Parts: sequence; structure tokens; C-alpha cells
Amino acid sequence: MRSRPNHLPTYLLASFAAALAFSNVARAQAAPQQAASKSASSPAPKHDLSGVWQYQGGGGADSMVPDKDMPPMTPWAKALFDAEKPGYGPRGAPGGNDPILQCDPIGFPRIMFMPTPNELVQLHDRVLQFWEREHEWRPIWTDGRPLPTDPDPAWFGYAIGHWEGDTFVVESAGFNDKTWLGPTGFPHSEEMRVTERYRRVDHDTMLYDITVTDPKAYSKPIVAPQKTMKLKPHEEIEELPCVWSQENEFAKRIREPAAHKPTN
Amino acid sequence: MFITDARNRSKYFQVQGSSGTRFSLWGLVLARANPHRLKRVPLSAPTKKTSRNFVQRFGLATAVALSLAALPAAGKQQATPKSAPAPAPQRDLSGVWHYEGNGGSEPIAPDNLIPPMTPWAQARYDAEKPGYGRKRAPGGNDPILQCDPMGFPRVMFLYTVFEFVQAPGRVIQFFEREHEYRSIWTDGRSLQKDADPTWYGYAIGHWEGDDTFVVESAGFNDKTWLGSSGYPHSEDMRVTERYRRLDHDTILYDITVTDPKAYARPIVGPHRIMKLRPKDELLEEICVASEEKSFANRIVEPALPKSKSHK
Repeated sequence: MRSRPNHLPTYLLASFAAALAFSNVARAQAAPQQAASKSASSPAPKHDLSGVWQYQGGGGADSMVPDKDMPPMTPWAKALFDAEKPGYGPRGAPGGNDPILQCDPIGFPRIMFMPTPNELVQLHDRVLQFWEREHEWRPIWTDGRPLPTDPDPAWFGYAIGHWEGDTFVVESAGFNDKTWLGPTGFPHSEEMRVTERYRRVDHDTMLYDITVTDPKAYSKPIVAPQKTMKLKPHEEIEELPCVWSQENEFAKRIREPAAHKPTN
Repeated sequence: MFITDARNRSKYFQVQGSSGTRFSLWGLVLARANPHRLKRVPLSAPTKKTSRNFVQRFGLATAVALSLAALPAAGKQQATPKSAPAPAPQRDLSGVWHYEGNGGSEPIAPDNLIPPMTPWAQARYDAEKPGYGRKRAPGGNDPILQCDPMGFPRVMFLYTVFEFVQAPGRVIQFFEREHEYRSIWTDGRSLQKDADPTWYGYAIGHWEGDDTFVVESAGFNDKTWLGSSGYPHSEDMRVTERYRRLDHDTILYDITVTDPKAYARPIVGPHRIMKLRPKDELLEEICVASEEKSFANRIVEPALPKSKSHK
């Protein structure tokens, strides 16, 4: 994993500024007004999400939903959760079993909440989504096909998209159950279905909503608080594959010693 | 090499490879990758078998060189009487393409066409312990055995499909193997002089005429091999590729690797033919470290001593 030291302060500043500027309640209404008054961001182009987008999160790997707001787990999910040993968060411990620690794919939707950018490229029959993290990608098919009824379980699932007014709605399914929903654990099953709404409120700003429905694992759908992504017009997605040989070294040198500290 | 088993039907497929373990092993691996695709290409069909035996006896390059000796002229002539594929669309490579090759993973060029190595490269080569090919041995150190990225150009010589997508300002090349991709920029930019070394490099492309897409790439790290049988390269490596669409269904592919730090002369790959797969869709085939490890323990390592004794 390559670090991007120059960008770290930007993430921190951005998240701090965002926390000051927005309250969760008013954000949806305020975003267009603010943009107009502050930086006079031009209006959003119609039905076009092309570009490199940066999720404005906490500057590190975020959870989809704060732990306290997660719906109750089923016994099936609880058993999985209890067996999980995350490398980060309140349950962080050395010798963790987070799949990504051995470079297993981070999977969707966990990859959405990383501090690395993603890019959307629109073609006539699909929108391509590229994630810098893990150098991963998925096609979001827009040619009218339905979701496959019996998809092969995959790390990044199978996705279709359509426009509802100015909002690009993505439905996905066909996930395997090997990924976590975020760095602090929380499992899901192969029955997971995800609905996302990408709404470009002005040229530079996208509001992002995501709902995970997985009755085998949770008693209610998981509804994430609305998130914001910002356009990075001059950015280019870099190649950041997870390289097992390097990750292994990183774990020994940095993460494991750090994970020891809080318990001491 | 183990790939995420998307379809989980590996047991239904067998390759009748006359060279024994290598083909069976790859048959297994490839069948795990996509049995449907393999069914569509009858590896055991008599015609194919003959050509493969020829390839084995006289080397891939000879075979390809012979079969393609008159290619510029023959491409069109041959095609018309038999199956008459439609003419190539102009400046368009969109679609899923398949390099048929010898049915497994190939080196960039046969051993006898690899130019002399520099002492720097020779030292690296001697330290390499491939899992396949002439130097294969158990306990190998092929980087892909621990799911480190396969990298470019090695990913080109596999049996799995790739897809070209033409978007404004670039052609995107998706490789089914490892679920990887690279952008080939066509917006007129030049290669970066001081690019960060990466596994898949930095690529730009332009058209020569209406049928040939020329790709120049650089900015590679030196951690990848040029093929499953080894052969190192340095960060100075530069690659030139020519994708010439002969007709609607066919690309003629040429690749030249120039790396003076490692080789006395450029490595010129043999002509390769790629075929359009109009109904194919790329599967998600990620190299998964945890599964790779168990695959290595369970299948690859036990198979290795056997294949040695066959030699």
C-alpha cells in the first residue's frame, strides 16, 4: 500500500471544514445554496457524473454507519461478528483477521468509504467506476438489463443503474459473504442487496446515499447518513494495488506494534 | 496460480494436453477461471492438437511465423472464402478479445528468442524459481504465487480474455485475469519522464492508419517477470505494442520490449492473433491471497515433483 502523505492534511482539513459547515439535517437543503454563494460552482451537467470524485470522510477508513446506529444483527451475523478481530477501531487487536490484512479484496461497499478517490466514466451502455484503492473497478450496466437472478457471488457484485431525474440510482447484488462492511467488522451475507443514489447537486459536488438490505444478517436495512463527494478535476487515479508481500511487511512493522499500544 | 472461483465448476473440465502436467495443471486453473469459455475452444480437437504438437516440437515462434508468413496478404484472402468475417471498423477496438495461444500461460517469446542478458539481469534470472517451464521447481518465488500483481506485459500472454473500451481521451484495457485494467491515453499527452514505477506502467496510444493502434508504455517497476518461466526486466523497460485489426473478428498483436539495462537487444515477441468474443463478458477473477495459499499447498506443490520426472 502506497501512502499519499501530501494528501493527508487535505483530508483532515476537509473533514474538519465539513463538520463545521454542515449539520446532517440541513445539508441536503443547504448544499446547492452554499455552493452558489461561496465558490459559485457552476451547475451540474445533465446526466453526467464523469470525473474523479473524492469522498469527504473522516480522513481514514470510515464505517458506512457509526457502530451505535447499526441495526440489530441476526444470530447468524452476530456469530460472525464475534469471531471478527478488526485491526482498527474499538475492537482493534493484534493478530486480527480482517480479510484485507492479507490483501484479500476489500469488496463493495466497504471500498466506498476509503480516503482514496474514485472515478466515473460514462459510456453508452455502462458507467465504469474505478477505485484508486486496490486498483479496482466495476461496470454499472445502463443498457436496461435486469440484475441476474442467479449471479455468481463476487467481491464487487453485479450492478445496474438508471437515472431518476438528476439522480443516478445503482442497484447491486451478487456479492459473496467474505467481505466486511467496514474496518470495525460487521458482516453481511450473500443475500445482501445495495441501493445507491448519486446526486450531483452542482458541478463539483455529489451527494451519496447508500442503503444495504440483508435480512439474513440484519433486522432492518442499514441506511447510511448522507455523504458528500467532491470533484477533483485535475486528479488522475493512481495505481494502488494491495501487494501482499508489502502488506505483510507493513503489518509487522507498523500496524501490529500500533495495535498493541492502546491495550498497554 | 489460483483465481477466485467464480463459477465453481472446475471438476467438469479436463484438458487433454499431450505435455502432461503443465497442461493439466493449467487446464485445472483455467477451468476454474471459466469452464464455459474453455468449452467453446476445443483444445482437444484434432486440428488444434496437431498444431499444438507442432508448436511444441518446433517452437511457438516458428509455428506462428510459418502460419503468419504471408499474413498481410493472407489475412483477407483466407478469411473471405471460409467464413467471411466482416471488415474491421475504422479506429475501433471495442470488445472482448481472446488470445488463444497455446492454451496456457506463455513467455513473452520462446527461450531461444530471448536476447543475451546483461550481468544485472542474469543475476536476477538465476535467483528466480518459476513454478512452470524449464526451471520450474517446488518452493518457487514467482511473485504471483503470493498474489503480487502479475503486471504488464505478462498479463497479455494468458489464456483469459481482455476488453477494450474506447472512452473520450483514452482507451481502457481491462484484463479478466486479476481483474486489472490500464488506461491508454489518447489525448495527445506524452509519456511522463519521471513516472512513479507501477505494476502496469503508464501508457499512451495513437492510430497509424485506420487499422493499427500503437501503444507506448513505460514507468514500470522491476518487480514483475516477463512470463511464467521467469525473465526479469528493469525500471527502464519500455514497451511498444501494435494492435492491428485485420478484420472484424481478428487482431494481429506485436510487442517489443526494450530494456538495455537487462537485455543486449530488444525482445521481439512473435506475432499473436487475438479473436473477438462478441458475447463474452469479463468475469471478476481476482487473485485472492488466502485462496492462493491453500491452492499452492494443495495442488501446485504436489504436482511439481511429478512434472519433473516426466521430463
